[in-house]
Amino acid sequence: MTRPRLQIFATLLVNFILWSALAEANYMLGPWQLRLWLGGLLVAPSALRLDFQVGATAAFVTGLALDAAAPVAFGTQALLLLAGHVFLFHVRDRLARNENLVNMSSTLLANLALFLVLSFTQIDAAPAPGRAWLRLFADLLASQVVLALVTSWAFALHGRLLLAVGADLRREHGGTAV
Amino acid sequence: MLPKRFDQAKPFVTLGVAAVAWLLVPAVVKRGLRLSFFEMRAPVAATASFVHDLQDFWALRTHSNNDLLEAGRQTAGVLAGYELSVQQKDQLQAENERLHELLNLPAEPGFRFEHARVMERDFSGWWQQLTIRKGTNYGLTVGAPVVSAAGVVGRVREVHAYTAVVELVSSPGVRIAAVLEGDTRPISYQGGDNPALGPARGVVDYLPVDVLASAAAPRKLFTSGLGGVFPANLPIGLLTSVEPSADGLFKTGGVQLDPGLASLAEVTVLVPLPAAVAPASAPP
Repeated sequence: MTRPRLQIFATLLVNFILWSALAEANYMLGPWQLRLWLGGLLVAPSALRLDFQVGATAAFVTGLALDAAAPVAFGTQALLLLAGHVFLFHVRDRLARNENLVNMSSTLLANLALFLVLSFTQIDAAPAPGRAWLRLFADLLASQVVLALVTSWAFALHGRLLLAVGADLRREHGGTAV
Repeated sequence: MLPKRFDQAKPFVTLGVAAVAWLLVPAVVKRGLRLSFFEMRAPVAATASFVHDLQDFWALRTHSNNDLLEAGRQTAGVLAGYELSVQQKDQLQAENERLHELLNLPAEPGFRFEHARVMERDFSGWWQQLTIRKGTNYGLTVGAPVVSAAGVVGRVREVHAYTAVVELVSSPGVRIAAVLEGDTRPISYQGGDNPALGPARGVVDYLPVDVLASAAAPRKLFTSGLGGVFPANLPIGLLTSVEPSADGLFKTGGVQLDPGLASLAEVTVLVPLPAAVAPASAPP
C-alpha cells in the first residue's frame, strides 16, 4: 500500500474509533435528550497535517459513512466535511499548527461552522423552528465542551497512527518542528 | 505552471468539481453506497449492543437471593393481573369478531408482533431515531409501526440485513392522524419539538376550536387508524396545551410524549400479516 493510502487508512481508522465512541456516548445521553456531533474533529487533524488529496478523501469517505446512518440526502455531510477540510486547509499555513491550543481552536471553530450549516439544512422540517434552535444550541454547547476535552487526545492518536504508517509529520507541518 | 493565485484557489475548485460530480452520480450508485456503508458499520454497533446486554446481565447477577425472591413475588402478582386481562381480551375479541360478521364489516389489518432490542439511540435536534437489532432476517418491512408498553414509538424507516432504523414519533418527519379520547374528529400530529434535558414533545394541528386542554387537565391522544400505517387506539401522548391557530379556524396544541421514549431498551414491531398487506385481493 502506498504512503498516501496508508495515511487515508490511518485517518479513517481514527475517525471510525471517534465515531463509535460518539455513538456510545449518544446512546447514554439519549434519555437526557442531548446529542453530540463532532464533525469538526473528523476533518481538522487531517486538514491541518496531511496533503490536500489525502485529507479530502478521508473527509469525504467519513461523511458518506455518517450519511449512511442519518436521514439526510446521501452526500450532505460528505460534502459538508469536504468543505470544512477545504477551508481549514486554505488557512492552515497562517496557523501555528504545532500549538495544541491552535489545533483546539481550529477544531472548535470548524465544528461550530459545520454544525450551524447542517442545522440550517435540517431546520425546515421542525414544526417550531424557534424552539428547535434552542435544542440545537444545547446540543452544540454539549458538543463543543466534549470537543474541547477530547481534541488533544484525538490529535495525538491521529499523529501516532500516522507515525506508525511511516508519515513524516515534520514534512507535513511544512518543515516546522513537531 | 499554474499561477500562484490559482494554486490558492485549487482546493475550492476541487470542492466545486466534487459537488457537481456528486450530483451527477446515478441514484442507484448512491443507494448502493449508502447500503454498503451502513452494513459495514452495523456489526460494530451490534457488538456494542451485545456488550451492553452482557453488562446488564452481570449487573443483575450481583443481586442477592432475597432481591430475586422479592422480584419474583412482584412478577407473580403482575402475571396474575395479566392472565385476567388476557381472558377478558379473548372474550372481547370473540365478541368483536361476532359483531364484525353480523355487520358484514371488512376485516381489520392483522399484525405479527416482533420484539427487538434497541441497538443505537440518535436523538438530535435534527432527527430522532433508533436502530434495532432485527431486520430483513425477521421479516420486518419498511413503514411497519413500532410500539412499546407506553404506546406509539415510531415507524420503521429502513430495513437492513440484521438491523432496522426506526423513526421516532418525536421526529419532525413523523405525521400521524390522531383522535382525542372520547372524540372521533381526526387531527394531525407531528413530532419534532424536543427540548434538551426534558421529555420529547409533539404538536397537533387542526384541533376543533371547542377542544380544551391544559397541563392540569390533559387529554389523551390516540392513533385514529386513518392513513393505514398505525392501527387505531394506540396511545401517542397527552395534549397539555392548546392555542388558537394563526387563521383562527382551528387550534394548535402541544403534546407531551412518554418520558420513557428516550430510554427504551426494547420495542415491538407490528409486522403486517400478508393478508393485511393486500386487502384489495379479499372478496367484497
